[in-house]
Amino acid sequence: MLAEFIQDAAFAAVAATGFAAISNPPRQAYLYCALIAAAGHSFRFVLMNPAGIHIVVATAMASLLVGVLAVLFSPRVKVPAETCLFPALLPMIPGIYAYKAVGGMIMCIYNNSEAAFSRYFYLFASNGLTCFFILLAMAVGAVVPIFLMKKISFRATRTLHD
Amino acid sequence: MPKEMNDIRVSAPESRPKAKEVCAFLAEYSGWLFSSGATCIRLEKNVKRIAASLGMTVEMSVLPRHLHITVMDRCGRQCFTSVAPILERPVSFAINTRLSTLSWDMADGEVDFREAQKRFCRIIDTPLSSGWAVLMLVAIANASFCRLFGGDMMAMAVVFIATAAGFALKQTLTEKHVDSRLVVIACSFVSAVLAAADGLFSLGRTPEIAIGTSVLYLVPGIPYINSFCDMLDRHYICAFGRAMNAVVITCCLSIGLCAGMLLMNVGMF
Repeated sequence: MLAEFIQDAAFAAVAATGFAAISNPPRQAYLYCALIAAAGHSFRFVLMNPAGIHIVVATAMASLLVGVLAVLFSPRVKVPAETCLFPALLPMIPGIYAYKAVGGMIMCIYNNSEAAFSRYFYLFASNGLTCFFILLAMAVGAVVPIFLMKKISFRATRTLHD
Repeated sequence: MPKEMNDIRVSAPESRPKAKEVCAFLAEYSGWLFSSGATCIRLEKNVKRIAASLGMTVEMSVLPRHLHITVMDRCGRQCFTSVAPILERPVSFAINTRLSTLSWDMADGEVDFREAQKRFCRIIDTPLSSGWAVLMLVAIANASFCRLFGGDMMAMAVVFIATAAGFALKQTLTEKHVDSRLVVIACSFVSAVLAAADGLFSLGRTPEIAIGTSVLYLVPGIPYINSFCDMLDRHYICAFGRAMNAVVITCCLSIGLCAGMLLMNVGMF
């Protein structure tokens, strides 16, 4: 379990560093993105595996952690908190659910018999709903701390400190 | 006046630029800040901070493709409105960060208006990250992603190649100014076709994870997050605009993925 936990955190950090590059962040932001992603994803891993919490709730809690850490660390790194949200959240994206939902939808169109249609519609709806609520949980969890801690969030890039 | 405005150093009246100049500067500043990936709340705060430091007030409305900015001097003698287009540029948090720092430096009295104009020109010339470095980082990242979803080593290798090829195509087509939606369709198609190799040649045990992960580097995460941020800030039109943009990109991604899978005759379930 410990090995899995460490592996999970390490791969999340690598994934975040790579995806951070897409949005051209300042150099000092890479390490910050990697650390926050590792913390967020491994926290979700703990919530889901040993604690057995549902993926949507676990994602909301982990995203909240990502959002809070992003805001608290942003004045140290002197970058806007939003810089690391996307790369740190991305490892939690429900890619496989989305893929299965799209697959289910296509199979629905291809299958006219009632039994096959119902089965694929079930796959489309269940995966699609889970995917939608995970995405919602991610967005709410990560963005709300920026609004709750406005004073820190929007002063992060200030060079002169009071 | 918002609380934050209290600690802004207002420049002396004799050294203040004309409202017309400030309006033109702020319009350009906002256009760049917005297209660099800033949310509406950041945009408004930065612009108001700069205007306050120059002894002026500003009001703005943010539309999906344009920004309207009205600058007034405190005595209400001069009032100018400018409309800035929001251009399609790659998101750059490096530019976003430096533009935000510039607004604070002006508010703290460290930089005057003329110096700020010069600094702004230098900031918008900030180069994007090197193409090859980003390509390798994204390919490695997507392969790690595949592992997080439970893919085996072979799936990781296939995803690495599929992502590298797709992302290289994205860079080439973007340089040639091809429509961003067509780029997404083409890239997801190429990545899905290459990732289908895992299942077709029975290379690994998790072919569906390889193909599902191979296109995730195209997910429009920043528009989704920014859209949600704008929604919480009650900028509903802008939030809707960004969300629609993200939905269109996601549909293009799905079209490319499905076309690739149909071509390679990959069954879904």
